[in-house]
Amino acid sequence: MGGGEKPQLIINGKRLDGRASDELRPLKIEVGAVKNAVGSAYIEWGNNKILAAVYGPKEALPKHVQDPEKAIIKCRYQMSPFSSLEDHGRTGPNRRSTEISKVTKEVFQNVMLLEQFPGAEMDLYIDVLQADGGTRAAGITAAAVAFAASGIPMTDIPFAVSVGKVGDELILDMNKIEDNYSDADMPVAISPRTGDILLLQMDGNMTKEEVRRGLEMIKKAGETISKVQREALRAPYEKTLDKYKK
Amino acid sequence: MQRIVVPGEKLTSTPVRIENTISDKNGTYTCIMGYFDEDRKSLIPLEGLWQPRSGDNVIGVIEEDKGTMYLINLKAPYKGLALAKFVDAELSAGDVVSATVKQLEKGGTVMLLKPTRLNGGKIMAVSPSRTPRIIGKGNSMLKQITEGTGTTIVIGLNGIIWLRGGKIDLATTAILKIVEEAHTTGLTERIKVLLSGNKV
Repeated sequence: MGGGEKPQLIINGKRLDGRASDELRPLKIEVGAVKNAVGSAYIEWGNNKILAAVYGPKEALPKHVQDPEKAIIKCRYQMSPFSSLEDHGRTGPNRRSTEISKVTKEVFQNVMLLEQFPGAEMDLYIDVLQADGGTRAAGITAAAVAFAASGIPMTDIPFAVSVGKVGDELILDMNKIEDNYSDADMPVAISPRTGDILLLQMDGNMTKEEVRRGLEMIKKAGETISKVQREALRAPYEKTLDKYKK
Repeated sequence: MQRIVVPGEKLTSTPVRIENTISDKNGTYTCIMGYFDEDRKSLIPLEGLWQPRSGDNVIGVIEEDKGTMYLINLKAPYKGLALAKFVDAELSAGDVVSATVKQLEKGGTVMLLKPTRLNGGKIMAVSPSRTPRIIGKGNSMLKQITEGTGTTIVIGLNGIIWLRGGKIDLATTAILKIVEEAHTTGLTERIKVLLSGNKV
């Protein structure tokens, strides 16, 4: 992507927003933003603002989508019409959101214990309120917290983050401008307990060695992201615990 | 030593069989948010869904009278079903009933026994993971609320609670307090204060 003049993305070893190449944007997660949902989370990752909500498990409808062996996950990723400078003006599914919904669903099919709810469905809604690059990764990170908060059994809390290439340098967690003008972009979702890769997409060209280095950067950053996810889940409970500690 | 654990967190370094966990040769990991007791190796769910077992007491609302059977909404991923030939009183759609689980059948249907109508009163829904705490050890917490408010309370393990008579608002407040503070210690004392403070 990115027509026209290509801006210089790295100046004196610093990126446009002053970050180092392996530095994440500020990350904040809040649990329980949607009271009617079984589990929900709100994430602020840099300028991204995303709501994720989980409903279910309930009887899967229409009946022909039911799996008698296990539950199914339905995921709907959507960008709000006002979320971005670029034209995401029309509501409803489009090519891009259908793809992201599909890959997000597949991330969670690998960590949820779906066999416990045969014939059921779980609905995951990811709504991007404000977008600044890397929304699919932020959406997965928020959705993982929403699923954990819902109490539906899962083997791990996955996280996702992207890594990109500018010239010869790899940069972590790209924002919109970097995303548009970089040479490559690779969002990855990982299950931190096992190290399994649950999502790996790539746009552009990277060498074998660059992919290996990129994955290492992501795994290192994942420690920070996982910590924020876990703290967000614990926060409401620790608040009540602290209240009665004295 | 007790601690709050989140999905994927390691509980023990050896495989141990605990409910709501998975284990491999390196250890046991929790699958839900819970409160883990290191010494007793017990995992109390903080968030969770109701998993039907035979003998569970549940409360539901009759959704449909099919003539030979009743469909009962249990506010769960399972559908309640009671055969009409084992029901003494005539039930109709919209009735609130308390029943016992016979068994979970294939396809997510729960067979129910002895549905009895609960007349009047009101129902409230809480997270199913909180019902054991509301009942308490040997019914202690429930007894405390019943005695303190004079309300008749029936608790369904599926997270639906039926209340009638007495100081119904006070009973609701007490239950909501338990729901919010289920993982703290000294809760029985605080409920006692709450109930006595409004008694006079």
